[in-house]
Amino acid sequence: MFLTKKSVISLPICPSGSVNCQVSLGELFDRAVKLSHYIHFLSSEMFNEFDERYAQGRGFITKAVNGCHTASLTTPEDKEQAQQIHHEDLLNLVLGVLRSWNDPLLHLVTEVQRIKEAPNTILWKAAEIEEQNKRLLEGMEKIIGRVQPGDTGNEVYSSWSGLPSLQLADEDSRLFAFYNLLHCLRRDSHKIDNYLKLLNCRLIHDSNC
Amino acid sequence: MIAEPRGMDLWQLLFTLALICANDSLPTSEVPLGEPQIIKCRSPEMETFSCHWTDGDVHNHTAPRTMQLLYMKRGDEEWKECPDYVTTGENSCYFNTSYTSVWIPYCVRLANENKVFDEKCFSVDEIVLPDPPINLNWTLLNISLTGIHVDIQVRWEPPPTADVRKGWVTLEYELQYKEVNDTKWKELEPVCSTTVPLYSLKMGRDYEIRIRSRQRTSEKFGEFSETLSVSFSMASEAVLCAEEIQFPWLFIIIFGTCGLVVVMFLILFSKQRLKMLILPPIPAPKIKGIDPDLLKKGKLEEVNSILASHDSYKPQLYNDDLWVEFIELDIDDPDEKTEGSDTDRLLSDAHMKSHSCLGVKDDDSGRASCCEPDMPETDFSASDTCDGTSDTDQSKKINEKEENLLCLDQKDNNESLTNLDDPANQQLISQSEDNQSKSPFADSIESPSPVPPVRTQLSNQSSVTNIDFYAQVSDITPAGSVVLSPGQKNKTGRAQCEAHTEPAAQCQPNFTMDNAYFCEADVKKCIAVTSHEEVEPHVQDQSFNEDTYFTTESLTTTAVNPSTAAEEASSSEMPVPDYTSIHIVHSPQGLVLNATALPVPDKEFMVSCGYVSTDQLNKIMP
Repeated sequence: MFLTKKSVISLPICPSGSVNCQVSLGELFDRAVKLSHYIHFLSSEMFNEFDERYAQGRGFITKAVNGCHTASLTTPEDKEQAQQIHHEDLLNLVLGVLRSWNDPLLHLVTEVQRIKEAPNTILWKAAEIEEQNKRLLEGMEKIIGRVQPGDTGNEVYSSWSGLPSLQLADEDSRLFAFYNLLHCLRRDSHKIDNYLKLLNCRLIHDSNC
Repeated sequence: MIAEPRGMDLWQLLFTLALICANDSLPTSEVPLGEPQIIKCRSPEMETFSCHWTDGDVHNHTAPRTMQLLYMKRGDEEWKECPDYVTTGENSCYFNTSYTSVWIPYCVRLANENKVFDEKCFSVDEIVLPDPPINLNWTLLNISLTGIHVDIQVRWEPPPTADVRKGWVTLEYELQYKEVNDTKWKELEPVCSTTVPLYSLKMGRDYEIRIRSRQRTSEKFGEFSETLSVSFSMASEAVLCAEEIQFPWLFIIIFGTCGLVVVMFLILFSKQRLKMLILPPIPAPKIKGIDPDLLKKGKLEEVNSILASHDSYKPQLYNDDLWVEFIELDIDDPDEKTEGSDTDRLLSDAHMKSHSCLGVKDDDSGRASCCEPDMPETDFSASDTCDGTSDTDQSKKINEKEENLLCLDQKDNNESLTNLDDPANQQLISQSEDNQSKSPFADSIESPSPVPPVRTQLSNQSSVTNIDFYAQVSDITPAGSVVLSPGQKNKTGRAQCEAHTEPAAQCQPNFTMDNAYFCEADVKKCIAVTSHEEVEPHVQDQSFNEDTYFTTESLTTTAVNPSTAAEEASSSEMPVPDYTSIHIVHSPQGLVLNATALPVPDKEFMVSCGYVSTDQLNKIMP
């Protein structure tokens, strides 16, 4: 059971023209969680499709040697760490990861089209993930503005330098680069989804989801 | 195993080789059968995980088992051994929370001292398979009206290991159910809540329910929960009966429709007689005894007679006009008159009156009379058409004039009419002498007294009699003559004469002309004139008196006064039945009047020219 595209996009935060419109923090979190869940869902499916179509028989290393470019961001790796970290820090981390993926997603959309006989579903999903990621980023910035007003904080994010690998001449290498990127995308989207759900339950539902 | 001075490069190379050889997907393995292999690695709550393996074919290996599970996660430099071989049973390795890191790649290797049997790599978030839900129970939602179907609500709790409350793990559940005898389970769509309704379970059957859960973003489900048994076999008998009853209805319906079809065919294709029997034609409307042609030709009399034979029929006048049939008087039978009574006198007057009619006689139903407010003296010429002797005419004339003359005489006011006095009186005397039979009253008066006093008396009485031209019809004799009741207006008449002097001048011309009957217009004029002079009671009395008499020619109501005047008059005078109700109308022969008095009819009863329509007659008929 997965969220449909409709349910994620359809809600405007405030009607246009309203001055003092204030969406509640719970509402913002609810939308953020829905978005992150949707992005992870799309990423998961896209990876599976790619894996089925291109990775079989090529012997791709699943746990790529090259880690994800977001590995430099120290994120909590288990529940205790996640519970101990302060919610503002965690929010900033989420924001950092999201920002780190702006660039790679943009290039993914353009480069995946160059794959020979790329199925439409993959192309569409790539474009959708890229768009939703931007929306989630906006939502997170709003949330941070509520939770931590005034302090925009240091914009920490990891830069991505994997574009050349997506443009390699060798098809196998290129496909491996895509595989790697999609794998990382799936993992990071799961991370973000989990952190946001954790924060939602902690801040909005008082740890009683 | 690896030369340390080589450092990371060599280590990475070997690691890469190992990974290349290894399979990324857990289930599929290229390890030959009989060899130990890792079956699965699983994390129930994303906080711990465990790996299970098989020993394989024991017999192939002579060396004692020193299987090890080694693991390595990213950032480690060497393989580490499983921290816990015990917690999750034999041939398993358990990694507790301290050893578990999510979103970090792990590799595990099954090996003994000599050989590596199997290796798997994964990250913990990919191997989450939650424990089954616990505490399944159900409650009754409702039972259908037929008692055959049941709806229930199934509830459960999330697995205790999964930390759903803090949101670390988000689960969704899938419920499956089946009847006890079935082999295939029915599935519901996965839900995120811990309760779900089950609709349309059948009463009298037993069901089994089981639930499993999975992490919301993954595809694989965890293990099934314990089976919940739901039993509805209490009302089994009722269910069987309900099901069986349905069948006969179907048969009945089918046979019924077939029978109907057969009958319809018979009707349609059968003989005419049968058709007539079942579907008789509707007869045209018709009344017994009446030929429709009669109505077309317009012979109403015949129709009337036929219709009159019907009991319910109320005889109405089907004449061409609505005028009431006038009463035919028989003047030729004086013997039948009551002698020495006022009736005779009245009759004589009536006789005279009838001759002075303005062309109103038998076949002329009083139509042309009275409707003209101005009664020129040509009326007298009109009276010539009527039957009667010139004597009567003259007497009538005399009487007419004498009425006013006598009134005026007594007052000694009017000189203009004195011219008429002598000849009128003389004529009256002569007439009275001549027509003794016809005017016994005059005789009776005349005999005891000399002429002058007789004259005066006669004049007096004639004045009275003149005033009594209008009499109430009390009865109609079988011969067809009218019996009139004496008007009790003698005294009042005189008084009215006296009182009438002043207004009489104004109304005079009208009165002289038409003594027989008044029209509405005439009386109205008089009333209008007299009412202004504040002599209302008298005026009204007189006018009322004049109004209250029926003419013999027709049923006329000359009452024109407003009801108030009538009421006042009636209160001031003796109660007189001024209007007699018509008992029966035998057209065209005459009337039979009721003796009872009727209240003065309303204004609506007044018709112009004093004629009563049949509709109005019907209204006053009791």
